Amino acid sequence: MTTTAAPAAERDAGSACPPRPPLERAGSGRWLGGVACGVAAHLGAPVAAVRVVFAGLALAGGAGVVGYVLLWALLRPAAEADTEGAAEDGGPRRARWSPADGAGGQLVAGVALLAVGATALAQRAGLPVSPGAVASACVALAGAFVVWEQLDAGDRDRWLARAGGGAADGGPRLLVGVLLAAAGVVLLALRGEDTSVLRPVVASVAAVLAGTGLLLAPWAVRFAAELRAERAARVREAERAEMAAHLHDSVLQTLALIQRSSADPAAVTTLARAQERELRAWLYGGGPDAAGRSLATAVRAEVAAVEEAHGVPVEVVVVGDRPLGRPEEALVQALREAVLNAVRHGAAPVQVYVEAGASEVEAFVRDHGAGVDLDAVPPDRLGLRESVLGRMARAGGSAAVRPAPGGGTEVSLRLGPVQEPR
Amino acid sequence: MSAPGPLRLVLVDDHRLVRSGVRSELAALAGGVEVVGEAGDVDEAVAVVTATAPDVVLLDVHLPGGDGGGGAEVLRRCAGLTTAAGTPVRVLALSVSDAADDVIAVVRAGARGYVTKTISGPDLLAALRRIADGDAVFSPRLAGFVLDAFGAAAGDVATTDEELDRLSAREREVMRLIARGYAYKEVARELVISVKTVETHVSAVLRKLQLSSRHELTRWAADRRLL
Repeated sequence: MTTTAAPAAERDAGSACPPRPPLERAGSGRWLGGVACGVAAHLGAPVAAVRVVFAGLALAGGAGVVGYVLLWALLRPAAEADTEGAAEDGGPRRARWSPADGAGGQLVAGVALLAVGATALAQRAGLPVSPGAVASACVALAGAFVVWEQLDAGDRDRWLARAGGGAADGGPRLLVGVLLAAAGVVLLALRGEDTSVLRPVVASVAAVLAGTGLLLAPWAVRFAAELRAERAARVREAERAEMAAHLHDSVLQTLALIQRSSADPAAVTTLARAQERELRAWLYGGGPDAAGRSLATAVRAEVAAVEEAHGVPVEVVVVGDRPLGRPEEALVQALREAVLNAVRHGAAPVQVYVEAGASEVEAFVRDHGAGVDLDAVPPDRLGLRESVLGRMARAGGSAAVRPAPGGGTEVSLRLGPVQEPR
Repeated sequence: MSAPGPLRLVLVDDHRLVRSGVRSELAALAGGVEVVGEAGDVDEAVAVVTATAPDVVLLDVHLPGGDGGGGAEVLRRCAGLTTAAGTPVRVLALSVSDAADDVIAVVRAGARGYVTKTISGPDLLAALRRIADGDAVFSPRLAGFVLDAFGAAAGDVATTDEELDRLSAREREVMRLIARGYAYKEVARELVISVKTVETHVSAVLRKLQLSSRHELTRWAADRRLL
């Protein structure tokens, strides 16, 4: 809530007065133009007392009305207050035609008060002005104004261009405006007649309006549907543009590269594989930006990096998941070494399987190479023994290397309850 | 291996390039597969499969036409068809998709296996033969999905084979080995059982996958969007 709106609310709650605020029309807590509230805020008096004074002066010859209108016209409106918040504070509210800014309501109230004051003055001066005529003219004007006011500039253009139709949510207000205008016109026409004639006329006008409404209803519904469709189309178009941009930056570039390197099958495979992975990540989520948050994403990211660097396809299956703690990180690093080893010394296909259970993690890396005998490992292949077996041991886990049935090697890693891995 | 004579195959894929690629690859392998029909959308597929009653349908998961149900719709509309030899028309799902819900939709609609389009020619041939013999074809990814969906990693293991919502200890073991990249033969050797027994276990898992009402199945697929 802004500083200008705060005093009114605080006074409502019966709290102490803040430093005297400037004299201006209140944006919140008002009944009509916010004059009484503004004056009350400025004087530090209860708003009800100010209202009583205004009302009393108005009854005593209309001076209150004139004063109110003058003040309303002269005073600056308070800076845009948080009107929604004020409404929740329980500030009394009435005659708000335009919840968007409140200007419409002020204007209507002002015009009405001006008319009442002018009539009173004219009658006092002896001019033959009938209050009924003025009132009906005012009602008609107010109706027309409400109709006009609730269309913003864009709507007004459309209104003029299409000869009808406002925003869908303006419907009730439009109806109120039209009804007011019609009522005013009827009152004007009936000026001087007996009021008993009024009832059938009002009834017939209401019937005509209802009929018009019924006739216009399908058109209005269709218009609203068109508007919705247009909006949806815009959203779709934005999505399509985003997709096109992504495909251009990724797939089209890769395709161009593939065409240029068509003589090199290995390069083509690597390019296609990397692009496929990137596109999958984009389509099905869990992309590179999610890497490192959990065991599964870390495993996928590491394997993808190896795959990209060496151009050998590695299939990854991860079952379950768990947060990436220190032991899990060690496992991921050991897994990476094992995959690197399989890619370098084994043969495709390389298969990685990670199973994260409630209390333990198991990982397997399998290749289809000639197989490895750890006891006969040449010194340059110490990587497997040190970086995989040693790393797992230090992390409190275990690792084993064995020939897989049907050829190739399988490295198994295990974290958790100590048990010889199979 | 099944009945004598070539394996009669219908190719269903909306990409002509994929169809001709598979066709020429299978022809080059001379593996005794005869492509008796091709289709590019749901309605065409139903018509061709009904007319030719092949041994195996290689069915793309994502297929235009029909009521928009894709491969699963073809499976539903072709349910109960049998070949001239009296065996049911069997379906191997083929997809580029990693989205588990897509794959699960066709498997639950009756496909007996799932392979990705990156599968090698010889592997595809072997998978088609296995499907024709009435066995199930599980890729490592599908096995991983099954393990995840049935909560096998959390030690949720069935005590009797009749339970639909959980895997038995042996089925879990078989699934794990397949997920580790073991061929059926290698699984058999590892567990010291016959290949036929492995196939029986895999078929049992497939049945559970198709019949289980385990609600995690679809929810998991929706959550993970990955196999």
